[in-house]
Amino acid sequence: MERRKFIKQVGGASTLALAGGLTLPAFTTQKQRHLTILHTNDTHSHIEPFKPTHYRNASKGGVAKRATLVQQIRKENPNTLLLDAGDIFQGTPYFNYFGGALEFQLMSKLQYDVATLGNHDFDNGIEGFYKQLPHAQFDFVSANYDFKNTVLDSHVKPYKIIHKNGIKVGIFGLGIQLEGLVDHRLYKETTYLDPIEITKDITQELKTKHHCDLIICLSHLGYHYKNNPNKISDLMLAKATQNIDLIIGGHTHTFLKKPTIVKNAAGKNTLINQVGAYGINLGRIDFYFDEVDELTTESATILV
Amino acid sequence: MKTQLTKVILFICGWISFVSCKNSTQQLSKIVGKNIAIDSAMVANTAIDSMIAPYKTQLDREMQQILTYTPVTLQKKTDQQQSNLGNLMADLTYQMAQPIFQNKTKQTIDFALFNSGGIRALISKGNVTKEHAFKLMPFENQLVVVQLSGKKTEELIHYFIQGKKAHPLSKQIKLTIHNDQSYELSIRGQKFDPNKNYLVLTSDYLQHGGDGMDFFKNPIALTKIDLKVRDAIIQYFKKTDTLKARIDHRITLD
Repeated sequence: MERRKFIKQVGGASTLALAGGLTLPAFTTQKQRHLTILHTNDTHSHIEPFKPTHYRNASKGGVAKRATLVQQIRKENPNTLLLDAGDIFQGTPYFNYFGGALEFQLMSKLQYDVATLGNHDFDNGIEGFYKQLPHAQFDFVSANYDFKNTVLDSHVKPYKIIHKNGIKVGIFGLGIQLEGLVDHRLYKETTYLDPIEITKDITQELKTKHHCDLIICLSHLGYHYKNNPNKISDLMLAKATQNIDLIIGGHTHTFLKKPTIVKNAAGKNTLINQVGAYGINLGRIDFYFDEVDELTTESATILV
Repeated sequence: MKTQLTKVILFICGWISFVSCKNSTQQLSKIVGKNIAIDSAMVANTAIDSMIAPYKTQLDREMQQILTYTPVTLQKKTDQQQSNLGNLMADLTYQMAQPIFQNKTKQTIDFALFNSGGIRALISKGNVTKEHAFKLMPFENQLVVVQLSGKKTEELIHYFIQGKKAHPLSKQIKLTIHNDQSYELSIRGQKFDPNKNYLVLTSDYLQHGGDGMDFFKNPIALTKIDLKVRDAIIQYFKKTDTLKARIDHRITLD
Protein backbone atom coordinates (compact mmCIF):
# COMPACT_ATOMS: atom_id res chain seq x y z
CA MET A 1 0.00 0.00 0.00
CA GLU A 2 2.82 2.38 0.87
CA ARG A 3 4.62 1.40 -2.26
CA ARG A 4 1.55 2.12 -4.39
CA LYS A 5 1.33 5.60 -3.01
CA PHE A 6 5.03 6.12 -3.63
CA ILE A 7 4.73 5.13 -7.30
CA LYS A 8 1.76 7.42 -7.82
CA GLN A 9 3.61 10.41 -6.39
CA VAL A 10 6.78 10.03 -8.42
CA GLY A 11 5.22 8.44 -11.48
CA GLY A 12 6.17 11.28 -13.82
CA ALA A 13 9.78 11.31 -12.80
CA SER A 14 10.29 7.58 -13.09
CA THR A 15 8.88 7.58 -16.60
CA LEU A 16 11.35 10.29 -17.49
CA ALA A 17 14.19 8.42 -15.93
CA LEU A 18 13.36 5.24 -17.78
CA ALA A 19 13.24 7.17 -21.03
CA GLY A 20 16.74 8.40 -20.30
CA GLY A 21 17.96 4.85 -19.73
CA LEU A 22 18.51 5.36 -16.01
CA THR A 23 17.26 3.27 -13.10
CA LEU A 24 16.19 4.70 -9.83
CA PRO A 25 18.42 3.56 -7.02
CA ALA A 26 17.15 3.33 -3.45
CA PHE A 27 13.63 4.43 -4.31
CA THR A 28 12.47 1.04 -5.45
CA THR A 29 13.50 -0.83 -2.27
CA GLN A 30 12.08 0.12 1.11
CA LYS A 31 14.75 0.56 3.69
CA GLN A 32 14.22 -1.63 6.75
CA ARG A 33 15.77 -0.75 10.08
CA HIS A 34 16.38 -3.26 12.82
CA LEU A 35 16.61 -2.50 16.53
CA THR A 36 17.29 -5.13 19.19
CA ILE A 37 16.25 -4.65 22.81
CA LEU A 38 17.91 -6.88 25.40
CA HIS A 39 16.79 -6.82 28.99
CA THR A 40 17.12 -8.15 32.52
CA ASN A 41 15.22 -7.57 35.78
CA ASP A 42 15.65 -8.50 39.45
CA THR A 43 19.24 -9.63 39.00
CA HIS A 44 19.57 -9.18 42.79
CA SER A 45 23.37 -9.08 43.03
CA HIS A 46 23.65 -12.50 41.36
CA ILE A 47 27.07 -11.89 39.92
CA GLU A 48 28.24 -15.50 39.81
CA PRO A 49 26.25 -18.34 38.24
CA PHE A 50 24.28 -20.55 40.64
CA LYS A 51 26.29 -23.42 42.07
CA PRO A 52 26.09 -26.75 40.18
CA THR A 53 24.45 -28.22 43.30
CA HIS A 54 21.62 -25.68 43.48
CA TYR A 55 18.24 -27.42 43.81
CA ARG A 56 16.51 -25.38 41.13
CA ASN A 57 18.87 -23.14 39.18
CA ALA A 58 22.02 -25.28 38.95
CA SER A 59 24.77 -23.52 36.93
CA LYS A 60 22.32 -20.94 35.58
CA GLY A 61 22.96 -17.23 35.22
CA GLY A 62 26.18 -15.33 35.87
CA VAL A 63 27.21 -11.90 34.61
CA ALA A 64 30.26 -13.18 32.68
CA LYS A 65 28.05 -15.55 30.65
CA ARG A 66 25.48 -12.84 30.12
CA ALA A 67 28.31 -10.69 28.75
CA THR A 68 29.16 -13.36 26.14
CA LEU A 69 25.55 -13.56 25.01
CA VAL A 70 25.15 -9.79 24.81
CA GLN A 71 28.39 -9.53 22.84
CA GLN A 72 27.21 -12.17 20.35
CA ILE A 73 23.93 -10.38 19.78
CA ARG A 74 25.66 -7.01 19.43
CA LYS A 75 27.91 -8.50 16.76
CA GLU A 76 24.81 -9.72 14.94
CA ASN A 77 23.08 -6.34 15.26
CA PRO A 78 25.12 -3.34 16.45
CA ASN A 79 21.86 -1.44 16.93
CA THR A 80 21.15 -3.02 20.27
CA LEU A 81 20.03 -1.51 23.56
CA LEU A 82 20.52 -3.22 26.93
CA LEU A 83 18.01 -2.34 29.67
CA ASP A 84 17.18 -3.36 33.25
CA ALA A 85 13.90 -3.09 35.18
CA GLY A 86 15.27 -2.78 38.72
CA ASP A 87 16.22 -4.69 41.86
CA ILE A 88 19.84 -4.75 40.85
CA PHE A 89 20.81 -4.78 44.53
CA GLN A 90 20.37 -7.33 47.33
CA GLY A 91 20.41 -11.10 47.33
CA THR A 92 24.05 -12.18 47.65
CA PRO A 93 26.87 -11.15 50.00
CA TYR A 94 28.38 -9.14 47.13
CA PHE A 95 25.82 -6.52 48.04
CA ASN A 96 26.26 -6.83 51.83
CA TYR A 97 30.04 -6.49 51.59
CA PHE A 98 30.53 -4.08 48.66
CA GLY A 99 27.28 -2.10 48.64
CA GLY A 100 26.42 -2.55 44.96
CA ALA A 101 29.65 -1.10 43.51
CA LEU A 102 30.51 -4.28 41.59
CA GLU A 103 26.95 -4.63 40.26
CA PHE A 104 27.10 -1.14 38.70
CA GLN A 105 30.68 -1.60 37.42
CA LEU A 106 29.74 -4.82 35.66
CA MET A 107 26.59 -3.34 34.15
CA SER A 108 28.69 -0.45 32.84
CA LYS A 109 31.18 -2.91 31.33
CA LEU A 110 28.30 -4.76 29.63
CA GLN A 111 27.23 -1.34 28.29
CA TYR A 112 23.79 -1.18 29.80
CA ASP A 113 21.98 1.87 28.43
CA VAL A 114 19.12 2.52 30.88
CA ALA A 115 17.74 1.03 34.11
CA THR A 116 14.99 1.85 36.58
CA LEU A 117 14.93 1.48 40.37
CA GLY A 118 13.33 -1.41 42.20
CA ASN A 119 12.34 -1.39 45.86
CA HIS A 120 15.52 -3.26 46.86
CA ASP A 121 17.67 -0.60 45.26
CA PHE A 122 16.76 1.46 48.36
CA ASP A 123 18.06 -1.24 50.76
CA ASN A 124 21.12 0.77 51.79
CA GLY A 125 18.99 3.89 51.89
CA ILE A 126 18.67 6.48 49.17
CA GLU A 127 22.19 7.63 50.14
CA GLY A 128 23.51 4.09 49.65
CA PHE A 129 22.19 4.15 46.09
CA TYR A 130 23.51 7.65 45.47
CA LYS A 131 26.96 6.61 46.72
CA GLN A 132 27.23 3.91 44.03
CA LEU A 133 26.07 6.15 41.14
CA PRO A 134 29.64 7.10 40.11
CA HIS A 135 30.13 3.41 39.22
CA ALA A 136 27.16 3.47 36.83
CA GLN A 137 27.99 4.60 33.31
CA PHE A 138 24.36 4.27 32.30
CA ASP A 139 21.22 6.21 33.12
CA PHE A 140 18.45 5.64 35.63
CA VAL A 141 14.91 6.66 34.75
CA SER A 142 11.82 6.89 36.92
CA ALA A 143 8.72 8.89 36.05
CA ASN A 144 6.60 8.21 39.12
CA TYR A 145 9.16 8.61 41.90
CA ASP A 146 9.57 12.28 42.72
CA PHE A 147 13.09 12.66 44.13
CA LYS A 148 12.85 16.45 44.42
CA ASN A 149 13.60 16.52 48.16
CA THR A 150 16.24 13.80 48.14
CA VAL A 151 19.90 13.41 47.16
CA LEU A 152 18.78 11.77 43.90
CA ASP A 153 17.18 15.00 42.68
CA SER A 154 18.32 15.59 39.06
CA HIS A 155 20.26 12.28 39.04
CA VAL A 156 17.24 10.25 37.98
CA LYS A 157 15.25 11.59 34.99
CA PRO A 158 11.66 10.58 34.12
CA TYR A 159 12.72 9.33 30.68
CA LYS A 160 15.57 9.12 28.24
CA ILE A 161 15.44 9.38 24.46
CA ILE A 162 17.98 7.37 22.49
CA HIS A 163 18.62 7.69 18.75
CA LYS A 164 19.68 4.38 17.31
CA ASN A 165 19.99 3.62 13.60
CA GLY A 166 17.55 6.42 12.77
CA ILE A 167 15.02 5.13 15.26
CA LYS A 168 14.00 7.41 18.10
CA VAL A 169 13.40 5.37 21.25
CA GLY A 170 11.75 6.89 24.34
CA ILE A 171 12.39 4.96 27.55
CA PHE A 172 10.66 5.84 30.81
CA GLY A 173 10.63 4.18 34.23
CA LEU A 174 7.94 3.24 36.76
CA GLY A 175 8.47 2.14 40.35
CA ILE A 176 6.34 0.32 42.89
CA GLN A 177 4.66 1.98 45.89
CA LEU A 178 7.33 2.08 48.59
CA GLU A 179 5.15 2.62 51.66
CA GLY A 180 4.76 -0.64 53.59
CA LEU A 181 7.36 -2.32 51.36
CA VAL A 182 10.48 -0.30 52.17
CA ASP A 183 11.30 1.30 55.50
CA HIS A 184 10.54 5.01 55.33
CA ARG A 185 13.95 5.75 56.85
CA LEU A 186 15.48 4.28 53.68
CA TYR A 187 13.48 5.98 50.92
CA LYS A 188 13.03 9.22 52.91
CA GLU A 189 11.20 11.98 51.00
CA THR A 190 10.78 10.03 47.76
CA THR A 191 7.19 10.61 46.65
CA TYR A 192 5.24 7.94 44.79
CA LEU A 193 2.97 9.16 42.00
CA ASP A 194 0.14 7.29 40.28
CA PRO A 195 1.70 5.16 37.50
CA ILE A 196 -1.28 5.30 35.13
CA GLU A 197 -1.67 9.08 35.25
CA ILE A 198 2.08 9.60 34.84
CA THR A 199 2.21 7.13 31.96
CA LYS A 200 -0.56 8.96 30.10
CA ASP A 201 1.33 12.25 30.39
CA ILE A 202 4.80 10.92 29.62
CA THR A 203 3.84 8.78 26.64
CA GLN A 204 1.87 11.69 25.17
CA GLU A 205 4.97 13.84 25.51
CA LEU A 206 7.24 11.18 24.00
CA LYS A 207 4.83 10.62 21.12
CA THR A 208 3.67 14.07 20.13
CA LYS A 209 6.41 16.39 21.34
CA HIS A 210 9.44 14.19 20.74
CA HIS A 211 8.03 12.04 17.90
CA CYS A 212 9.47 8.81 19.29
CA ASP A 213 9.20 5.83 16.95
CA LEU A 214 9.20 3.40 19.85
CA ILE A 215 8.15 3.80 23.50
CA ILE A 216 9.48 1.45 26.15
CA CYS A 217 8.46 1.36 29.80
CA LEU A 218 10.89 -0.06 32.38
CA SER A 219 8.49 -1.10 35.11
CA HIS A 220 9.09 -2.43 38.59
CA LEU A 221 5.33 -2.57 39.29
CA GLY A 222 5.03 -6.36 38.96
CA TYR A 223 3.48 -8.46 36.19
CA HIS A 224 0.13 -9.32 37.82
CA TYR A 225 -1.25 -9.91 41.34
CA LYS A 226 -3.52 -12.92 41.29
CA ASN A 227 -4.63 -12.48 44.92
CA ASN A 228 -4.92 -8.73 44.62
CA PRO A 229 -6.17 -8.03 41.09
CA ASN A 230 -6.85 -4.37 41.86
CA LYS A 231 -3.21 -3.68 42.61
CA ILE A 232 -1.53 -1.83 39.77
CA SER A 233 0.50 -4.20 37.62
CA ASP A 234 2.01 -4.34 34.13
CA LEU A 235 -1.05 -6.12 32.73
CA MET A 236 -3.29 -3.42 34.17
CA LEU A 237 -1.01 -0.59 33.01
CA ALA A 238 -0.93 -1.94 29.45
CA LYS A 239 -4.73 -2.15 29.27
CA ALA A 240 -5.34 1.26 30.84
CA THR A 241 -2.98 3.28 28.66
CA GLN A 242 -1.92 3.66 25.03
CA ASN A 243 1.29 4.47 23.16
CA ILE A 244 3.53 1.98 25.00
CA ASP A 245 5.07 -0.51 22.60
CA LEU A 246 6.93 -2.59 25.17
CA ILE A 247 6.78 -2.94 28.95
CA ILE A 248 9.85 -4.54 30.44
CA GLY A 249 8.72 -5.67 33.86
CA GLY A 250 10.13 -6.81 37.17
CA HIS A 251 9.43 -7.23 40.90
CA THR A 252 7.19 -10.34 40.77
CA HIS A 253 10.07 -12.55 39.51
CA THR A 254 7.73 -13.82 36.79
CA PHE A 255 9.41 -16.26 34.42
CA LEU A 256 7.48 -15.63 31.21
CA LYS A 257 8.13 -18.27 28.56
CA LYS A 258 7.53 -15.61 25.94
CA PRO A 259 6.34 -12.00 25.90
CA THR A 260 2.63 -11.37 26.55
CA ILE A 261 0.60 -9.45 23.96
CA VAL A 262 -2.07 -7.17 25.46
CA LYS A 263 -4.59 -4.92 23.72
CA ASN A 264 -4.13 -1.42 25.10
CA ALA A 265 -6.80 1.28 25.61
CA ALA A 266 -6.59 2.23 21.94
CA GLY A 267 -7.01 -1.38 20.82
CA LYS A 268 -3.37 -1.63 19.76
CA ASN A 269 -0.89 -4.28 20.78
CA THR A 270 1.43 -3.71 23.72
CA LEU A 271 4.09 -6.25 24.54
CA ILE A 272 4.97 -7.16 28.14
CA ASN A 273 8.03 -9.17 28.96
CA GLN A 274 9.74 -10.21 32.19
CA VAL A 275 12.60 -12.68 32.58
CA GLY A 276 12.12 -13.93 36.13
CA ALA A 277 15.10 -13.08 38.28
CA TYR A 278 18.80 -13.54 39.14
CA GLY A 279 20.09 -13.12 35.57
CA ILE A 280 18.97 -16.62 34.65
CA ASN A 281 17.48 -15.38 31.37
CA LEU A 282 17.98 -12.54 28.95
CA GLY A 283 14.98 -11.05 27.20
CA ARG A 284 15.34 -10.24 23.52
CA ILE A 285 12.87 -8.25 21.44
CA ASP A 286 13.70 -7.38 17.84
CA PHE A 287 11.88 -4.47 16.24
CA TYR A 288 11.82 -4.01 12.46
CA PHE A 289 10.84 -0.66 10.99
CA ASP A 290 9.98 0.25 7.41
CA GLU A 291 10.62 3.73 6.16
CA VAL A 292 7.34 5.23 5.02
CA ASP A 293 6.08 8.66 4.06
CA GLU A 294 3.14 8.49 6.36
CA LEU A 295 2.26 6.18 9.24
CA THR A 296 -0.61 3.81 8.63
CA THR A 297 -2.85 2.23 11.23
CA GLU A 298 -1.67 -1.20 10.15
CA SER A 299 -0.31 -3.08 13.14
CA ALA A 300 3.00 -4.84 13.16
CA THR A 301 3.34 -8.58 12.83
CA ILE A 302 4.33 -10.04 16.19
CA LEU A 303 6.19 -13.32 16.42
CA VAL A 304 6.66 -14.64 19.95
CA MET B 1 21.26 17.51 -25.01
CA LYS B 2 21.46 14.10 -23.39
CA THR B 3 23.75 15.48 -20.66
CA GLN B 4 21.27 18.23 -19.95
CA LEU B 5 18.41 15.75 -19.73
CA THR B 6 20.49 13.63 -17.30
CA LYS B 7 21.12 16.73 -15.20
CA VAL B 8 17.41 17.46 -15.10
CA ILE B 9 16.66 13.86 -14.16
CA LEU B 10 19.30 13.87 -11.45
CA PHE B 11 17.92 17.13 -10.13
CA ILE B 12 14.42 15.69 -10.03
CA CYS B 13 15.66 12.50 -8.39
CA GLY B 14 17.60 14.51 -5.83
CA TRP B 15 14.63 16.71 -5.13
CA ILE B 16 12.34 13.71 -4.68
CA SER B 17 14.78 11.98 -2.39
CA PHE B 18 15.16 15.18 -0.38
CA VAL B 19 11.42 15.56 -0.02
CA SER B 20 10.81 11.91 0.77
CA CYS B 21 13.59 11.87 3.36
CA LYS B 22 12.14 14.88 5.04
CA ASN B 23 8.68 13.36 5.19
CA SER B 24 9.60 9.76 5.77
CA THR B 25 8.93 8.18 9.11
CA GLN B 26 9.45 4.80 10.74
CA GLN B 27 6.60 2.33 10.59
CA LEU B 28 6.94 -0.59 12.97
CA SER B 29 6.30 -3.63 10.77
CA LYS B 30 7.51 -6.66 12.67
CA ILE B 31 8.37 -7.63 16.25
CA VAL B 32 10.11 -10.83 17.27
CA GLY B 33 10.37 -11.63 20.98
CA LYS B 34 11.94 -14.45 22.95
CA ASN B 35 13.64 -15.19 26.24
CA ILE B 36 17.06 -16.78 26.18
CA ALA B 37 18.30 -19.02 28.99
CA ILE B 38 21.78 -18.38 30.31
CA ASP B 39 22.96 -21.87 31.20
CA SER B 40 26.06 -24.00 31.63
CA ALA B 41 26.52 -24.30 27.86
CA MET B 42 27.42 -20.62 27.64
CA VAL B 43 31.06 -19.60 27.91
CA ALA B 44 32.01 -16.91 30.41
CA ASN B 45 33.61 -13.70 29.22
CA THR B 46 37.14 -13.67 30.67
CA ALA B 47 37.38 -9.89 30.99
CA ILE B 48 34.27 -9.92 33.18
CA ASP B 49 35.52 -12.88 35.19
CA SER B 50 38.77 -11.07 35.96
CA MET B 51 36.80 -8.00 37.11
CA ILE B 52 34.89 -10.23 39.54
CA ALA B 53 37.90 -12.27 40.70
CA PRO B 54 39.34 -10.03 43.45
CA TYR B 55 35.88 -9.52 45.00
CA LYS B 56 35.12 -13.23 44.75
CA THR B 57 38.35 -14.30 46.46
CA GLN B 58 37.62 -12.06 49.41
CA LEU B 59 34.01 -13.23 49.72
CA ASP B 60 34.70 -16.93 49.24
CA ARG B 61 37.08 -16.95 52.17
CA GLU B 62 34.32 -15.48 54.33
CA MET B 63 31.32 -17.36 53.03
CA GLN B 64 32.55 -20.93 52.80
CA GLN B 65 33.01 -21.24 56.57
CA ILE B 66 30.89 -24.18 57.75
CA LEU B 67 28.84 -23.14 60.77
CA THR B 68 26.52 -26.10 61.43
CA TYR B 69 24.71 -29.05 59.88
CA THR B 70 21.10 -29.80 58.99
CA PRO B 71 19.85 -33.38 58.46
CA VAL B 72 16.77 -32.14 56.57
CA THR B 73 16.20 -29.41 53.99
CA LEU B 74 14.94 -26.29 55.71
CA GLN B 75 12.38 -24.53 53.59
CA LYS B 76 9.23 -22.41 53.38
CA LYS B 77 7.00 -25.36 52.49
CA THR B 78 3.84 -24.80 54.53
CA ASP B 79 1.94 -27.20 56.75
CA GLN B 80 -0.50 -26.09 59.48
CA GLN B 81 0.42 -22.49 58.57
CA GLN B 82 4.01 -23.21 59.63
CA SER B 83 7.28 -24.00 57.88
CA ASN B 84 10.27 -25.74 59.42
CA LEU B 85 12.54 -22.86 58.43
CA GLY B 86 10.12 -20.27 59.82
CA ASN B 87 9.86 -22.11 63.13
CA LEU B 88 13.66 -22.30 63.34
CA MET B 89 14.05 -18.58 62.63
CA ALA B 90 11.47 -17.50 65.18
CA ASP B 91 12.83 -19.83 67.87
CA LEU B 92 16.50 -19.10 67.36
CA THR B 93 16.08 -15.32 67.35
CA TYR B 94 14.02 -15.64 70.54
CA GLN B 95 16.75 -17.74 72.11
CA MET B 96 19.48 -15.27 71.11
CA ALA B 97 17.56 -12.10 72.02
CA GLN B 98 16.03 -13.19 75.35
CA PRO B 99 19.26 -13.05 77.47
CA ILE B 100 20.07 -9.58 76.05
CA PHE B 101 16.54 -8.35 76.72
CA GLN B 102 16.55 -9.89 80.22
CA ASN B 103 19.77 -8.04 80.96
CA LYS B 104 18.38 -4.73 79.75
CA THR B 105 14.88 -4.83 81.24
CA LYS B 106 14.65 -7.79 83.69
CA GLN B 107 11.65 -8.95 81.66
CA THR B 108 10.84 -11.97 79.50
CA ILE B 109 9.88 -11.75 75.84
CA ASP B 110 6.46 -13.35 75.29
CA PHE B 111 6.95 -14.51 71.70
CA ALA B 112 8.51 -13.66 68.34
CA LEU B 113 6.82 -12.83 65.02
CA PHE B 114 8.50 -12.27 61.65
CA ASN B 115 7.16 -12.29 58.08
CA SER B 116 7.18 -15.20 55.72
CA GLY B 117 8.40 -12.91 52.91
CA GLY B 118 11.51 -12.21 54.97
CA ILE B 119 12.76 -15.77 54.53
CA ARG B 120 14.77 -15.26 51.37
CA ALA B 121 16.26 -18.70 50.66
CA LEU B 122 16.09 -22.29 51.75
CA ILE B 123 18.92 -24.36 53.23
CA SER B 124 19.50 -27.73 51.55
CA LYS B 125 20.31 -30.63 53.89
CA GLY B 126 23.99 -30.97 54.68
CA ASN B 127 26.60 -28.51 55.86
CA VAL B 128 25.37 -25.01 56.58
CA THR B 129 27.76 -22.19 55.68
CA LYS B 130 27.89 -18.50 56.41
CA GLU B 131 26.67 -18.00 52.86
CA HIS B 132 23.42 -19.78 53.75
CA ALA B 133 22.88 -17.32 56.58
CA PHE B 134 23.42 -14.41 54.20
CA LYS B 135 21.03 -15.80 51.61
CA LEU B 136 18.43 -16.57 54.24
CA MET B 137 18.63 -13.08 55.69
CA PRO B 138 20.34 -10.68 53.29
CA PHE B 139 18.85 -7.58 54.90
CA GLU B 140 20.47 -5.51 57.61
CA ASN B 141 17.35 -5.67 59.81
CA GLN B 142 17.79 -5.24 63.57
CA LEU B 143 15.99 -7.14 66.33
CA VAL B 144 13.60 -5.10 68.48
CA VAL B 145 11.14 -5.93 71.26
CA VAL B 146 7.78 -4.21 71.00
CA GLN B 147 5.40 -3.87 73.94
CA LEU B 148 1.84 -4.26 72.63
CA SER B 149 -1.51 -3.81 74.35
CA GLY B 150 -3.84 -6.81 74.46
CA LYS B 151 -5.92 -5.14 71.75
CA LYS B 152 -2.92 -4.76 69.42
CA THR B 153 -1.92 -8.35 70.16
CA GLU B 154 -5.40 -9.40 69.03
CA GLU B 155 -4.87 -7.40 65.82
CA LEU B 156 -1.60 -9.28 65.35
CA ILE B 157 -3.37 -12.64 65.66
CA HIS B 158 -6.12 -11.52 63.25
CA TYR B 159 -3.44 -10.45 60.78
CA PHE B 160 -1.87 -13.91 61.05
CA ILE B 161 -5.16 -15.79 60.65
CA GLN B 162 -6.51 -13.67 57.78
CA GLY B 163 -3.18 -13.59 55.94
CA LYS B 164 -3.18 -17.41 55.77
CA LYS B 165 0.61 -17.24 55.42
CA ALA B 166 3.17 -19.14 57.46
CA HIS B 167 4.63 -16.07 59.12
CA PRO B 168 7.25 -17.34 61.57
CA LEU B 169 5.85 -17.47 65.13
CA SER B 170 7.96 -18.76 68.03
CA LYS B 171 7.01 -21.81 70.08
CA GLN B 172 5.72 -19.75 73.05
CA ILE B 173 2.51 -19.44 70.97
CA LYS B 174 -0.22 -22.09 71.00
CA LEU B 175 -2.85 -21.10 68.49
CA THR B 176 -5.77 -23.23 67.33
CA ILE B 177 -7.64 -21.75 64.36
CA HIS B 178 -11.13 -23.03 63.65
CA ASN B 179 -12.87 -23.13 60.29
CA ASP B 180 -14.96 -20.05 61.08
CA GLN B 181 -11.73 -18.12 61.91
CA SER B 182 -12.48 -18.18 65.66
CA TYR B 183 -9.44 -19.24 67.67
CA GLU B 184 -7.96 -20.28 70.99
CA LEU B 185 -4.71 -18.72 72.03
CA SER B 186 -2.25 -19.20 74.85
CA ILE B 187 1.09 -17.47 75.23
CA ARG B 188 3.90 -18.89 77.41
CA GLY B 189 1.45 -21.43 78.81
CA GLN B 190 -1.12 -18.81 79.89
CA LYS B 191 -4.47 -18.22 78.22
CA PHE B 192 -4.40 -14.98 76.23
CA ASP B 193 -5.63 -12.00 78.31
CA PRO B 194 -6.85 -8.97 76.27
CA ASN B 195 -6.25 -6.71 79.29
CA LYS B 196 -2.58 -7.59 79.51
CA ASN B 197 0.38 -6.16 77.54
CA TYR B 198 2.67 -8.47 75.59
CA LEU B 199 6.37 -8.24 74.66
CA VAL B 200 6.93 -9.29 71.04
CA LEU B 201 10.29 -9.82 69.36
CA THR B 202 10.44 -8.74 65.70
CA SER B 203 12.61 -6.79 63.27
CA ASP B 204 12.84 -3.02 62.96
CA TYR B 205 11.56 -3.39 59.38
CA LEU B 206 8.30 -4.98 60.53
CA GLN B 207 8.04 -2.66 63.53
CA HIS B 208 7.90 0.23 61.03
CA GLY B 209 4.82 -1.33 59.46
CA GLY B 210 6.59 -3.49 56.86
CA ASP B 211 4.38 -6.13 55.20
CA GLY B 212 1.33 -4.28 56.51
CA MET B 213 2.06 -5.13 60.17
CA ASP B 214 0.59 -1.84 61.33
CA PHE B 215 -0.11 -3.17 64.86
CA PHE B 216 3.64 -2.78 65.57
CA LYS B 217 3.56 0.96 64.90
CA ASN B 218 3.45 3.33 67.91
CA PRO B 219 3.99 0.65 70.57
CA ILE B 220 3.71 1.24 74.33
CA ALA B 221 7.45 0.65 74.59
CA LEU B 222 10.24 -0.25 72.17
CA THR B 223 13.55 -1.89 73.13
CA LYS B 224 16.43 -2.28 70.70
CA ILE B 225 18.34 -5.53 71.11
CA ASP B 226 21.33 -4.13 69.15
CA LEU B 227 21.67 -7.36 67.22
CA LYS B 228 21.01 -7.84 63.51
CA VAL B 229 18.66 -10.70 62.59
CA ARG B 230 21.40 -12.18 60.43
CA ASP B 231 24.01 -11.96 63.20
CA ALA B 232 21.62 -13.74 65.56
CA ILE B 233 21.31 -16.51 62.96
CA ILE B 234 25.10 -16.75 62.48
CA GLN B 235 25.76 -16.82 66.24
CA TYR B 236 23.16 -19.51 66.78
CA PHE B 237 24.47 -21.61 63.88
CA LYS B 238 28.01 -21.36 65.28
CA LYS B 239 27.05 -22.68 68.69
CA THR B 240 24.72 -25.43 67.38
CA ASP B 241 26.19 -28.72 66.17
CA THR B 242 23.07 -29.99 64.35
CA LEU B 243 19.98 -27.92 63.59
CA LYS B 244 16.64 -29.30 64.73
CA ALA B 245 13.59 -27.78 63.10
CA ARG B 246 10.17 -29.18 62.38
CA ILE B 247 6.48 -28.46 62.10
CA ASP B 248 4.90 -28.82 65.57
CA HIS B 249 1.69 -27.91 67.41
CA ARG B 250 2.26 -24.16 67.89
CA ILE B 251 -0.38 -23.63 65.18
CA THR B 252 -3.23 -26.05 64.64
CA LEU B 253 -5.75 -25.63 61.86
CA ASP B 254 -8.93 -27.20 63.06
